[in-house]
Amino acid sequence: MMAEEETLAELMRLAQGGDRQAYTALLTESQRWLERFFNRRCAPGNRDDLVQEVLIAVHNKRATYDPARPYLPWLAAIARYRWVDHLRSVYRKAEQELTDGDVPAGSGEGAMLARLSLDRMLAQIPEQQARVIAWVKIEGLSIREAAVRSGQSESAVKVSIHRGLKKLSALPETAE
Amino acid sequence: MYKSTQTLIQEMAEDLQPVRALRLRSGLLLLLAAVGLTVLGIALLSGLWAGVWQGEASALFLTTNGLLLILGCAAASSVLRMATPRVGNQHDGPRWAALMLAVLPVAAVLSLVGHEHPLGEIADPHGLQCFGAAMLASLLSAAVLFYWLRRGAPVAPRTAGLYLGIAATALGSAAYGLACPMDGPVHLGLWHVAPVAVGALLGRYLLPPLLRW
Repeated sequence: MMAEEETLAELMRLAQGGDRQAYTALLTESQRWLERFFNRRCAPGNRDDLVQEVLIAVHNKRATYDPARPYLPWLAAIARYRWVDHLRSVYRKAEQELTDGDVPAGSGEGAMLARLSLDRMLAQIPEQQARVIAWVKIEGLSIREAAVRSGQSESAVKVSIHRGLKKLSALPETAE
Repeated sequence: MYKSTQTLIQEMAEDLQPVRALRLRSGLLLLLAAVGLTVLGIALLSGLWAGVWQGEASALFLTTNGLLLILGCAAASSVLRMATPRVGNQHDGPRWAALMLAVLPVAAVLSLVGHEHPLGEIADPHGLQCFGAAMLASLLSAAVLFYWLRRGAPVAPRTAGLYLGIAATALGSAAYGLACPMDGPVHLGLWHVAPVAVGALLGRYLLPPLLRW
């Protein structure tokens, strides 16, 4: 994993200098990494859109990568930011169902993914808020269905989601 | 999204231009220049209080301005680092520094308990002048920090806005403190700290929409 991290950081340094070949390789690797990162944390139908949004953000904000630092924590911070934005905007869609079809991460990579993962953010907010966000914003349940499942009123579910998203929006860098 | 990710990657690679990485050191130098210009402006417009370097300043005067400076540095450091995000960046410093500073207004209010004319102490004729001057002295630092964040990629805009407001007003109040010879606990604890509270509120509620990207 360390070797991959160093390779990615080197590719980004070259890309900041204008090396298109290195940049293509970097973005392709970033795409694969992001697909695993978002696995089971957004509906599969939305995952590619989210990956593309993060890649565009990487492109637009590539000057904010500090070449003296590792690449993946920078990429993960941007991915988390875009993910919270995505959760704010996503609503139930018919095709939203979770699948296990993605390639599982290797063990070394798993450790890095675990440290940077979206679950670390969800673990920092109250359990009830994380649960209803997952149900409504990721699994695609309606507010009513989430209310029945949680035993809360619909307005309480809405408040939990609102408060949970507000807390998540402060955590992209600090939750690890 | 209508195109494949591979097509998007190819298009972005073709569009690639060299960029200069955003360096923390450059941001620090820019902020230092802003604070220096602010102090120079205060010196020219109001004149600095000579008592500061002639040994006439009270311990409370030095403590208050020292705490303001430390809070300003801690918050500004967080703001500058927020422009280049990464998982693992912690921004706890400004919170603790803000709590330390908060002791001053609490102490000022407690010192008035049992006072014969507490409102008379608070209704300090110079208080509003110091408050306004400190707010004005915050503008240049605020502009630099805002510019830096707009160039960067802050991933927690609410926190970034809050810390920007705190950093600019704490530095502004510390800078103006060099021109104010008053060293009473109520004057320093209320009127020199109030700009930071106002800056925090303005930053927290006005700036986040402008910092989103």
